[in-house]
Amino acid sequence: MGKISVTMVVNGDKVGPMEVSEYTSMLDFLHEYLNLTGTKLGCGIGVCRACEVVVERDDGSLEVVRSCINNVGRFIDKKVTTVEGHARRNADGEIEQLAPIQQAFLEHFSFQCGWCTPGFVNAAMVLIDRLKREPVAAEDLEATISEALQHHICRCTGYVRYFRAVKDVIESTPGLVKSEG
Amino acid sequence: MSMRTPLCLLLALCFAQWAVAQTEFERGRYLAAAGDCVACHTAANGRPFTGGRPFVTPFGTLYSTNITPDEKTGIGQYTLEQFTASMHRGKGLHGNLYPAMPYTSYRLVSDEDIAALFHYFMNLPAVENSPPANRLMFPANLRFGLSFWNWLYLDDEPLAQPEGKSAEWQRGNYLVNALGHCGECHTPRNFAFAMKGAPSMGSDEYLAGNVLEGWDAVDIRPHALRRQGWDRAHLQELFTTGSSERGTLFGEMYRVVDHSLRHLSGDDRNAIITYLLDESEPLPAVPNNTGAASERFPQGRGDFVAYCAGCHGRGGGGITLAFAPAMASNSSLRADSAHNAVAVILRGLPAQRRDRIQARAGMPSFHRELDDERVAGLVNFMRTAWGGARQEVTAADVAEIRRALDDEGYLTGNDQ
Repeated sequence: MGKISVTMVVNGDKVGPMEVSEYTSMLDFLHEYLNLTGTKLGCGIGVCRACEVVVERDDGSLEVVRSCINNVGRFIDKKVTTVEGHARRNADGEIEQLAPIQQAFLEHFSFQCGWCTPGFVNAAMVLIDRLKREPVAAEDLEATISEALQHHICRCTGYVRYFRAVKDVIESTPGLVKSEG
Repeated sequence: MSMRTPLCLLLALCFAQWAVAQTEFERGRYLAAAGDCVACHTAANGRPFTGGRPFVTPFGTLYSTNITPDEKTGIGQYTLEQFTASMHRGKGLHGNLYPAMPYTSYRLVSDEDIAALFHYFMNLPAVENSPPANRLMFPANLRFGLSFWNWLYLDDEPLAQPEGKSAEWQRGNYLVNALGHCGECHTPRNFAFAMKGAPSMGSDEYLAGNVLEGWDAVDIRPHALRRQGWDRAHLQELFTTGSSERGTLFGEMYRVVDHSLRHLSGDDRNAIITYLLDESEPLPAVPNNTGAASERFPQGRGDFVAYCAGCHGRGGGGITLAFAPAMASNSSLRADSAHNAVAVILRGLPAQRRDRIQARAGMPSFHRELDDERVAGLVNFMRTAWGGARQEVTAADVAEIRRALDDEGYLTGNDQ
C-alpha cells in the first residue's frame, strides 16, 4: 500500500512532514497521528456531519469538509482547524476562553451527549466567517442558519437549542446582519 | 353452505379486480405514466397536473399548463378532437402550443391511447390554477409563428415499423418514440430547437445524445448503450430503481424513472429494452487497467485516493448502490463523451429522497478546489482504469464544460 508524505497546518501548528498510508482518512489521521480526538466519527459515510473540520480556502475564507469520507491527501498543505482549535489558550495550552459559539452552546444547553457538537461548532464558525464577508439581511437570517446547519444530525434532538445559540451569537456580533435602511 | 359459495365469491372478486384494471380510467392512468405527463405538468411541490413548472429556453421562460379538467384554467372545455389536435399537432384552444410540449413525439400516439388519456384527464378532480404567464422574447412570443415552425419541423410520417422485428421490439418502438418521447431529450437539436432527425427519417443523429440542463442526456443508440456496458438485466434494474452496477441516474432522468418507467409493466419495460438494445451484441467487460492508468496519470490517481476513494472505494468498487456507485465499469466512464464524468465532479449531486426508506446520498462539488488540469487528470485516470477510454480529456475540454456550467448557473454547489 502506498505511502504519502503529509504536511499541513492544524490549529495553527505546522504538522509533518510525516509518512502515512495514502488511504488514511483525515479523521483517522487526526485521531491516530495527531492525538486530536475531538473530531467525532458518526455515520462514517458522510451523512451525519459530526466529523466536519474547518479548512481555509486559498482566498482566506473558510469551509467545512467532512473528515470521514476524505482521505488525508486532500488536506496536504492546507490550513485545518478542528474543534480543539477555536478556544483561546494560554502558553501552557490551557483553555482561557471558549469561542463565543462554544460558550453559547453551553449556555443554551444545546447538546446532551455532545457527539455531534464538534460538527455544529465547526459549521457555525464557518457560517459566522461567511457572514463577516457577506452580511445577511435580518429577515433572511433564520433561513441562512437553517441552510448552513440543516444536514447536521443530532440524535439527542438539540436542534432548536443549537439554532437559538447560533442565532444569538450572530445577532450579538456586530457586522454579521445588515443594518436596516 | 357448500364449499362452492366462497370459491365462487373469490373468483368473482378476482374477476372484478381484473375488470377494474381494464377500465378506461386505469388504462389512461397507465398511459399517462408511460408518457410521463406529470413531470412537466407539475410545479415544484405543486399539485399533480396543475402546471406551472418553468422551462428556461434561449427564447425566454415557458410555464407548463394545467391539464386537470377545470373549465377556466385547465382543459375542461376540450373535446376529444381538440385534445387529439393538441397531442398530435400542437394545436391548443388558445393557439399553437410551444414544442416544449413534445407533440413532435406524441403525434405518434395511437387514437385509441389518446382517447384513454383524454378519459383519464377528464375524470381527474378539476383544480383551478393558472400558471404564470410565459415570458418570451419577440418573435418567439407570437404563437402564430409556430405554424411556420411546424411546417418546417413537424414530421408527418407515421412511426416506422420495419419488417422482421419482433412484436416486442415494435411495442418498444412505440413506447420509446411515441409516449415515452425519449428522443426529445436524447436527440441533438438544431438552432430552432427542433430535433435533428426523427425515427421515421432514419437519421444517424436520432437518440445520439444531447447536453441539457448541464448534463449529457446520453447517446442511447444500441451500439452506444452496449459500449457503456448496458445489457437487459442492468437496464431493467436501472429503469426500476434508478441505480445499477453500471451507474446511477440523476437529474431529469432520475425523475423519469420515479414518475414513469418504474410504474410500467415488466413486459413494457422489457419491450423498451428490446428496442433500445436492438440486435447489438453484448460487449466483453472492460478490463481493469488500474496499473496502466496509475502510471499514466499519477496525479489523477492521487486525487482519486484523496478525494473519491472514501466513498467510491479503493478499487473503484463503490460502497453500496444507494450510497456511492462503483466507478469500475460505470457507464459514465465508458461513454464516448466524458461530459457527465467531468460535470459531476464540478457540480456534485443533490441527495435524492424517494420515500421514507429509499434515499440516496448526494455528492460534494469540487469546482472550487480542483482546477481544470486536475479534473482532467482524475477523469483520465478513471476512464483509463475502468472505462476503456479511447480518448483523453484535456484541461481545455474541462475548461469548456466548466464555462458552460458556470454560465448556466450550475456551479453553485458548496457542499464538502
